[in-house]
Amino acid sequence: MSLLQGLLRNRKALVGAGILIVIVLLAIFAPLLTEYGPTQRVGRPHQPPSADHWLGTTRLGYDVFTRLLYGARVSLAVGFGAGLLITVIGTVLGIIAGYKGGVVDEVITFFTNMILVIPNLPLLLVLAAFIGQASPLVIAIILGFTSWAWGVRVTRSETLSIRQRDFVKSAEMLGESSWRIMSFEIFPNLISIVGINFIGSVIFAVITEATLEFLGLGDPNTVSWGIMLYNAQNASALSVGAWWELLTPCVALAVLGLGLALLNFAIDEIANPRLRTGGMLARWVGLVRAGEGRL
Amino acid sequence: MIFLLRRLAFYLAAFLAAATINFFLPRLMPGDPIRMMFASAGSELSLENLNALKLTFGFIDAPIGEQYLAYLRSVFTGDLGRSIKYFPLPVTDLLGRALVWTVGLVGIATLLSFSLGTFLGVMAAWHRGTRLDTAVSLSSIFASSVPAVVVSLIMLFVFGYTLGWFPNGYAADPMLDPAWSWTYLSSVIYHGTLPMLTLVIVLTGGFAVTMRNNMINLLGEDYIVMGRAKGLSDQRVMLWYAARNALLPTVSALAISLGSVLGGSLVAEVVYNYPGLGNTLYQAILARDYPVIQGQLLIMTGAMLVANFLVDLSYVLLDPRLKRA
Repeated sequence: MSLLQGLLRNRKALVGAGILIVIVLLAIFAPLLTEYGPTQRVGRPHQPPSADHWLGTTRLGYDVFTRLLYGARVSLAVGFGAGLLITVIGTVLGIIAGYKGGVVDEVITFFTNMILVIPNLPLLLVLAAFIGQASPLVIAIILGFTSWAWGVRVTRSETLSIRQRDFVKSAEMLGESSWRIMSFEIFPNLISIVGINFIGSVIFAVITEATLEFLGLGDPNTVSWGIMLYNAQNASALSVGAWWELLTPCVALAVLGLGLALLNFAIDEIANPRLRTGGMLARWVGLVRAGEGRL
Repeated sequence: MIFLLRRLAFYLAAFLAAATINFFLPRLMPGDPIRMMFASAGSELSLENLNALKLTFGFIDAPIGEQYLAYLRSVFTGDLGRSIKYFPLPVTDLLGRALVWTVGLVGIATLLSFSLGTFLGVMAAWHRGTRLDTAVSLSSIFASSVPAVVVSLIMLFVFGYTLGWFPNGYAADPMLDPAWSWTYLSSVIYHGTLPMLTLVIVLTGGFAVTMRNNMINLLGEDYIVMGRAKGLSDQRVMLWYAARNALLPTVSALAISLGSVLGGSLVAEVVYNYPGLGNTLYQAILARDYPVIQGQLLIMTGAMLVANFLVDLSYVLLDPRLKRA
């Protein structure tokens, strides 16, 4: 059963994908859904939600709903962009290290382990602090180049076991070039690991971008969910009672997190059938239990 | 023994790498690195003090190689420079003050989450496929997919502002003097509850999922079937056969997350205005107090490496095969 078929049959995956699709559509059609611009002062400061401003206004008089829609673009772009970068670097290095072995493997593994033990968040903070006000693009690039280590480790160990299989041996006998073996024999067998790595990296990138921006390391002129949090915190939104300014990006990030979590969970279930709820093992245990009661 | 020595050498190299990043970053940035590092000091620093600070960070009139060695010398002698915002206060002193709060708050929260997460993981794995399992696994994964900022802010909004059950900030009532008195301690506990709860929500999920997956993988083993076949009670098989063996990888995860305690719970401390290491780092970022930021990276890396080394040590003790390797 391929990963895609499995996903289509899994209810959690469908709900997760549904949430993501809705957010993507809202982001794409932002200009059609709201009459205001995201950086346009359209009302008095800190207006509560009303018919004119569905989610109220910020301290600067921006429309919160509009910023929510446009902010989704940046948050999604950074999440998926950085997630893709992390996954590509991790997968490529992992396959090369696992298949080539020898010195290449040792060098890659050494750097991977080193990055794994240097704590990620402080490293990112130091980098971002020196860069100053990091734009979303810069944040995505920093994330991509500092966070691939976990992917390399997992991909490498899986490649090591696939390398021993017969079809790889026979491809080697046939004299296929090593890059061809790596990309057409080994890579297709790693799809589910790549999928878990990708979704996990997207979650990580979304969370980290929001955190860095909340901490004031982002560019305050961008319109993103992290910057919305930062502005709300700076405007002391909670103490002046403007809960809509702060809770809107919070709920948005939580919903996005929920969608990604469901997808992650589903891929994990499909990739490791043992962990699946209601699988063969559980049914067997159920049978045993039923028997126990009667004896 | 050779295994441990090799690991030790590796950790030394990793620490060196972190120090090297600290050294090269300001020099790689466009503009004058000295101006960049000490810009916020302005005219408050006397020339003499500024020169001492420059020396600590290796800004000397010498080739880059010698500058690097000068910097490493100060790092390995434990001199992390002085805070610029709170000038003449050494970075180590500043971080030392915050350390107590962070170790208390995050340390206890980590241990609580570990116990709770392990318990939930065992229950979910044992009753896999049931509603309990789905509820535990899904909420665990959900909790680790939402930024900690969001959890902290929502908790603060609900329990701090709306319901008013807990204070909105600080580690203790600012009117009280620190003392080993009941009034002061109860104030510390009262102020710490909300950040603690937030951290437990954020951290528990990871432990629960790890434990559940480890344990489900073990439940297919022959000795589990054997235990059941012998007619042992469910509870005995669950706790003494499955959970005990599944605990090993989780304990190493615990050691690693205790190692990252020093990173604090950056976000929770900032949101609740808690005077720990995370908040110190945040204040340093706002003031662009680079010596403090760089010192934090080194100290956190150091703590992480020590934790990793302890894990290696425990493996050697628990797995006799490694002793010979």
